[in-house]
Amino acid sequence: MRRAQPTTAKTVTSGERDATRPQIRDQAELALPSATNRKKSGEAGRTLSDKVIEAHACDEDDTALYRRVNVDAVLGHDATTALLIDDFERRGLSIWDRDRVLLANDHFSPPATAERADISNRFLAFAREREIPNLMLDRGICHQLLVEHQLCQAGGLVVGADSHTIMAGGIGVCATGMGATDILFTLATGTTWLRRPETIAVRFHGALPPGSGGRDVVLALLAILGESGAQYRSLEFHDESTSRLCQDDRFAIANMAVEIGAKFGVFVPDEVTVDYYRKRDGELLGTLVRPDQDAVYERVIDLDLSELDPRVAKPWSPANVVPLRELEPTPITTAFLGSCASGRLSDLRDAAAELTDRKVHPDVRFVVIPASVEVFKQALRAGYVETLTEAGAIVNHSSCGACGGIDKGVLGADDVCVSTSNRNFRGRMGHWDSRTYLASARTVARAAARGVLAPDLYGERRNG
Amino acid sequence: MTAIEGRVWLFGDDVNTDVIHPPAFYSLDPDKVRRGLFHGYDPDLQPSLRPGDVLVAGRNFGCGSSRETSIRSIRLNEVGAIVAVDFARIFFRNATNNGLPCLTFADAGDLARLRQGQRITVDPDTAVLHTEDGSVPLTPPGAFVRRIWSAGGLLELLAPG
Ligand code: SF4
Repeated sequence: MRRAQPTTAKTVTSGERDATRPQIRDQAELALPSATNRKKSGEAGRTLSDKVIEAHACDEDDTALYRRVNVDAVLGHDATTALLIDDFERRGLSIWDRDRVLLANDHFSPPATAERADISNRFLAFAREREIPNLMLDRGICHQLLVEHQLCQAGGLVVGADSHTIMAGGIGVCATGMGATDILFTLATGTTWLRRPETIAVRFHGALPPGSGGRDVVLALLAILGESGAQYRSLEFHDESTSRLCQDDRFAIANMAVEIGAKFGVFVPDEVTVDYYRKRDGELLGTLVRPDQDAVYERVIDLDLSELDPRVAKPWSPANVVPLRELEPTPITTAFLGSCASGRLSDLRDAAAELTDRKVHPDVRFVVIPASVEVFKQALRAGYVETLTEAGAIVNHSSCGACGGIDKGVLGADDVCVSTSNRNFRGRMGHWDSRTYLASARTVARAAARGVLAPDLYGERRNG
Repeated sequence: MTAIEGRVWLFGDDVNTDVIHPPAFYSLDPDKVRRGLFHGYDPDLQPSLRPGDVLVAGRNFGCGSSRETSIRSIRLNEVGAIVAVDFARIFFRNATNNGLPCLTFADAGDLARLRQGQRITVDPDTAVLHTEDGSVPLTPPGAFVRRIWSAGGLLELLAPG
C-alpha cells in the first residue's frame, strides 16, 4: 500500500484545489445520472453512504475492506485538538487545506480553571499560527457551528475530532467522529480510511403527536436498537411521515445516532433539507445524494410516529428508555436544556412556551445553553430568552457546559437532573452518584416547572 | 507484536468512555490522565494495575466519547491488550492508531471461560489467548489493522514532513 504523503503548507483560497492531492470529484457529478451516480447493470443498489464513500475514494481497489477517502471538511474543538498539537508539531506537519478546517473552542468557553485556560490558549495559538480562517472563538458548540457553515454540504464527507460530528447527517452529510490521532492524519493529508458500513434504513411514518419531537423519536429508536444496535453501521433516515420532521428534530435524531453506535446517521435529503440550505447559503451548493430504489439494507425499521408519546432515558444509559407515562414520579434538582443534541431554536421555543407565565420550581436549578451564539441571538429576538429568564431559568453562554461535566451546572452526589443532552452515562455530568434522565426540551421545561419528572407531565396517560 | 502476559480484569457490556476515563481527568498532564482510569467505577483499580494486564469485556467496549485521553490513560497504565466480544467503532480506531491491541473473541461464549485475576497470555499475531486451562481463539485482525500495528501506530504511516 502506498504511504500517505502530507502536502506542504500552502495558501489555498476557497474553491482553488490543491493539485498535489487527489481531487474530490466534482460534486455536480453526483447529482444526476453520471459516471459516479449511475448504476452499472447487474450491480446491487447502493445506499446513500455507499455512494458518498465511492465518490470520495482515492484508492483504486474498490473491493478493499478499508477505503482511502478524501474528506471535504475537518472539524475540531479545543479539548480534542489540543491532544494532537504536540505530535503535529514534532513531526513538522502542515495542514493540507486550511480553508476546509473548522475549529471551535466550545468545551472551555470561556475556561473555568487555569489548567483549561492553558489548554485553550495552546489550541488557539495552534489555530492562529496556521491562520485557520474558520477559527470560531466562543461562538458555540462545534457541531452546531459546522451545520451553520458553508463547509458542511449535502453529499459531503466530513470528519471531526468528536463523536457527535455525526449530527451533520441531519442535512444529508456523511459525517463521523474520530479520535485525535485520526484527525491529525486527516489534517495533514486531507484523507482518512473508512470501512464501508452496512446500512440500516429507518423509515418514519404517520404524524408526530403534538408535544413529541425529535428527541422522543431518537429515544424510541434507542429503545429498539440499544447502545450497539447500529455499531459500525450507517443509519439512513427516510422521513415519510405526514407531519414531516422539522430540521431541528432531524439534528436531534442524527446527533444521537452515535449513541446507537452508528458511523453515519444521515437523512435522505428532501425539501426540508433543501429549504435549510437555501436559507443558509441562498442556494443549494451541495449535492442531494439519495440511495438507489433497490439499495441493499441490512435491516429496515419502520417507525410509526403517531404512537410516539414523550420518552425518557433513565440512568445510566441512553438506551434505558421508557415512555414518560410509565416512569415513577422522580423529584429533580436540576434541569438542563442545552448541548449539541438540543439547544436549538425550536427547543428554546418549546421551553419558552411551557414557561410563559410560569415559574421554575424553587427546588430546581434550570440551566439553559443555546447551542450557538447565532441560536442565542435568534432566541433573543424571538423573546424566548426573556421568557425563560423571567421564569427563573439561567441562560448561559453557548458552550458544552455541564453536558460533559465541564462547568456551569456540574452535578453533585445528590443531584437528579433531567437533561436534553445525549449521554446520561454514570459520572459524565459530575459526581459518580448523580443521576441524569434524558428527555426533550419540552419535557425538561415541564419538569423544571413541576419540580418532578412526573408520569402525568402531559396529562393523564396520553396515548393510552 | 510480542505476546502480552498479565492478569485479567473483567468488565461487562457497554463500558463507555466516561466510565473508562471520567471527564474530570481530561488533561494534557500525563500523570493526571494516568490516575483517572476507571476512577468513578472503582478507585482502587488503577493503582492495582500491573504492566501487561489485560482488560476483558463484553459487547460494545469503549462506546461514547472520542476523547483519546481514555486510550492514553490505558497506555500510560501499561495495559497490554483489550479482549472483548466487540468494540465501539471510534474506540477501536483510537486504540489501533495508538498501537494498543484490541481483539475480539472468535466465539463470544468464550468470555465466560475467563476469571477475574487469572493469568493469561495474549498473542496478537496468532490471535490466541492462552490460559492455564487451554487456549481461547480470537478473531485474527485484518491486514489493515496489522499494518498499523507493525508500523507502530497510524502516524508512522505519514511520510516525514
Ligand atoms: S455539548 Fe456535550 S456532547 Fe456535544 S460536543 Fe459538547 S460535550 Fe460533547
